[in-house]
Amino acid sequence: MKKILATGGVAIMLAATLSGCSTGAAEASCQNKIVNSAATVVNVWAWYPEFESVVDLFNNTHDKVQVCWTNVGAGNDEYTKFSTAIEAGSGAPDVIMLETEVVQSYIPRDALADLTSYTADIKQNYSEGAWADESSGAGVYAIPVDGGPVGMLYRKDIFDKYGIAVPTTWEEYAAAAQALKDAGSTSMITDFAGNGRAYQQALFAQAGSIPYTVDGTNVTVDLNDAASLKVLTYWQDLVSKGLVGTEDASTTDYNTHLVDGTYASTIAAAWLPGYLAGFTGAESGAVWQAAPIPQWAGETPKQVNIGGSAFSVTSQAKDKDAAATVAKDIFGTEEAWKLGIEKAALFPLWKPILTSSYFTDRAYDFFGGQQINKDVFLAAANDYSGFQVSPFQNLAYDKLTEAVNSVSSGAATPADALATYQKAVTEYATSQGYTVK
Amino acid sequence: MTVLVSTTSPRPEKRRSHASREASRAGGRRVLPHLVLVGLILYFALPFWWLIVASTKDQATLFSGDTSPLWFGKFNLIDNIQLLFTYSNGLYWHWLGNSFLYALTGGIGATVISVLAGYGFAQYRFAGRTPFFALVLGSVMVPATALVIPMFVMFSATHLTNTMWAVILPSMLNPFGVYLMRVYTQDAIPDEMIDAARMDGAGELRIFFRVALPLLRPALVTVLLLSVVGTWNNYFLPLVMFSNPNLFPVTVGLGALQTQAGVNTGGQSLWTIVIVGALVSVIPLIIAFLTLQKYWQGGLSLGSVK
Amino acid sequence: MLSSTIERRSVTPDRAFLKKPGRLGSGVSARRARWGWLFVAPFAVFLVLFLLTPLVYAFILSLQNKTVATGTHWVGLDNYAKAFTDPLFLEGVWLVVRFSIILIPIQMLVSLGAALLLDSITSRFSKFSRLMIFVPYAVPAVIGALMWGFLYSPSFGPAAEVAGWFGLNAPQLLSPDNIFGSLVNVVTWQWAGYYMIIIYAALQGIDTSIYEAAKIDGANAWQTALRIKIPMISSSLVLILVFALIGTLQFFTEPQILRSMASGSITASYTPNIYAYTLAFSYSQFNYASAISFALGLVVFVGSYIFLHFTRKKSGLNS
Repeated sequence: MKKILATGGVAIMLAATLSGCSTGAAEASCQNKIVNSAATVVNVWAWYPEFESVVDLFNNTHDKVQVCWTNVGAGNDEYTKFSTAIEAGSGAPDVIMLETEVVQSYIPRDALADLTSYTADIKQNYSEGAWADESSGAGVYAIPVDGGPVGMLYRKDIFDKYGIAVPTTWEEYAAAAQALKDAGSTSMITDFAGNGRAYQQALFAQAGSIPYTVDGTNVTVDLNDAASLKVLTYWQDLVSKGLVGTEDASTTDYNTHLVDGTYASTIAAAWLPGYLAGFTGAESGAVWQAAPIPQWAGETPKQVNIGGSAFSVTSQAKDKDAAATVAKDIFGTEEAWKLGIEKAALFPLWKPILTSSYFTDRAYDFFGGQQINKDVFLAAANDYSGFQVSPFQNLAYDKLTEAVNSVSSGAATPADALATYQKAVTEYATSQGYTVK
Repeated sequence: MTVLVSTTSPRPEKRRSHASREASRAGGRRVLPHLVLVGLILYFALPFWWLIVASTKDQATLFSGDTSPLWFGKFNLIDNIQLLFTYSNGLYWHWLGNSFLYALTGGIGATVISVLAGYGFAQYRFAGRTPFFALVLGSVMVPATALVIPMFVMFSATHLTNTMWAVILPSMLNPFGVYLMRVYTQDAIPDEMIDAARMDGAGELRIFFRVALPLLRPALVTVLLLSVVGTWNNYFLPLVMFSNPNLFPVTVGLGALQTQAGVNTGGQSLWTIVIVGALVSVIPLIIAFLTLQKYWQGGLSLGSVK
Repeated sequence: MLSSTIERRSVTPDRAFLKKPGRLGSGVSARRARWGWLFVAPFAVFLVLFLLTPLVYAFILSLQNKTVATGTHWVGLDNYAKAFTDPLFLEGVWLVVRFSIILIPIQMLVSLGAALLLDSITSRFSKFSRLMIFVPYAVPAVIGALMWGFLYSPSFGPAAEVAGWFGLNAPQLLSPDNIFGSLVNVVTWQWAGYYMIIIYAALQGIDTSIYEAAKIDGANAWQTALRIKIPMISSSLVLILVFALIGTLQFFTEPQILRSMASGSITASYTPNIYAYTLAFSYSQFNYASAISFALGLVVFVGSYIFLHFTRKKSGLNS
């Protein structure tokens, strides 16, 4: 018994040494170095790849404010912690990275600070669409960082092999899907992921769906509209004919299938190419090209956006001025953006770099030297006019996932699925005290 | 409340010598059971085998589909381990150290508290004992999700979130350990023995430490083991309590890395790190179970646990 | 050893309860009672701080509602009325009930079968088997689910390879039709070994002379197992069942981890605990989430109470 106790004691001491005795202290320790220890320290949560070099750049160029960066997890992991901290009234960081689509959900919870008074001098650095995405009423609650204008990435080698022309309309896209199958290819044209909710919402919007309008606590919810029905029916048709896949996105299976020739194309945001290059299992001899997203024949061409992110100052921030400085400046310089573009493959919303020839003329090895920004994504970004998401986007997305899966599995017709979707979101909004019109 | 506990330790040797004679007599009829056992082993070992094999592959080999998931490809284990331990300035060392620290302090604390309480419940009659013990049993059934949010609020108000206490203190509460200790104490310590010690003029504390405690050893080891494993495997509580990655235990750290690998931020070989990290993290407990066999094999029979 | 203890216990009820007060005078017993409280005190403090207080707080939360328009206000039991008519919650409860009905017998069969096997053969190999079957218990549920997630993968898992040998397509083990079975498998893998050890230890405790008697009566190994061994360890089987039941009704970690690979199969309300988690952290409905957690606690409590009621003779849990 004594031996066990002694061993236990030694083990605890060892463990304490290993874990660096990071006990007791309530302050989060940073994942980066603080250069000027006398300065005001601003705690930042973010999960950008290669973010450390951007933070170092900021700290090296600022005397009065320093960033203490923590990566608490990507996406939902971070939001879970943020939600808990909001509910508890403490524990949130000063500045937080949020995906653009969730910013609107945190505004009614009084979780974010209004940055209007800090942003008069930088507003002109962003497009109106990008700025509108972070605004609510007269206030602005986040500084845009990167965006996700959508294009079509395709495998030129597969298209060429089966003699398929690059589709410019959805009708041609469906025909290409059929042609690919008829030609005996093992590749499918693309995947219609059950959990690709931002993607589906964008496709609905492209056809003319305006799902939400928000005015304080007055909202309209219009999910069961003709445009959404048209799009969902279109995809259900492809799914039922076995022309597109239905596996979940963001899994290792899916990531591999994106590059191993399982899918001949993918409708994707401008940040995806940066990731594609990092996926393993790529088919040798693959030739990638980017093209504009297909349009609905006979309708005014419309560009859409998927994803993108922004920095918000939380309402728990101790020093709002210092926090706003961080939110504005961290991706507010050319040097920072060069790191963001070259190392993390972000698509900038900051106009000085967005319109510079450095970015517009940039050639991408992955696309065989194609200038994909100039060819595809800049036009898509310029035509994008903003998109109103709901202040309860998490729930709306979960319900959309259920709707899409029920259609893909054949359990419901597109019309029924959309009706269920509309009903569920409306009920939730009402229960949360919104007046739904 | 009666008992599921024996005070006598099993005597496998005596019975086994007889049984092995029986076995050798039965001879050839033992083939079928052994085949079934082989099948069971293959099933239970399958994920481990996969983990070992996958740990030796680099990310490209892992996902290329050129090699079988259950057989070795390009041998890259050393590089993978190096990658794991240098990731983010050796963050993984912190995680491993934290897991040890939380599990051992939480486990020892839980054991001490459970032994005291179990002994108290078993040996003393005091006002409120019966309803209190009913409460102990009822508390086993409370879903953890119901407690985490209010607990976070409480810890946050006392500035204990993002400190190791946020995980260690709640881990010291082990109602089932108390139940086990009470039941075992009732059976293992004859009242006559306690009464005799009292007649000799021994104080209550002295009786506990000198008379009772040595007899409670098997149950003590069991409760310790269960508490340590429980804290080591805990995921939900540290997930909510910590936002500082330097404080993560290995379960939460790997979980976070896995989501990052899923969204594939930056093309690092994160999956390789997750897989090798998982392998390294299961080794300590497996070694502990192998070396402490004689303690837990008898001990676990004391109770059937969460 | 377990069963023999039980037998004895049921004839001689709890000594502590039988002890007549005042044998040594009321002054002494009052002093003793103080000592009793002293021994229990540290535990009582922890129980109050880390269980009762959060629980009461959560209950208060469940009696309120918070909306953007009106702020926080009391709603009485409205959240509970809503929970017990909420199809998502009820479907989740139905799922975990079905899960218990299917998982627990399978788990018991595997662990009981393995324990009986190991009890009947002794060799180095059986010792090794015992360890191998037990080892998954030492693996955190997060890591267990992660490993199985890979094994279920249609492109990287062995299932695809095996199917390939026969020229078949990879089975979709994460599809809505198969996810239930896949989850049953993960949990069985994780816990069967642990239950096996408990049953095994109970079997080892049985007095061998009983087997001799059975053998003389002409019973074969199969009959011995069925007629003697299993009845004699029934009490530990029942207790295992109760804990398996409580654990299964609170099912959370495994489906939560596999959710990122199987959104179509595991919804945000797949089990009541996942639903409560989603409501709180994703939909910011902390009040309703607290009510769901409490409602689940109620279901668990009633479920295990009923179970214990019907098996109380076997379990010996008759305080």
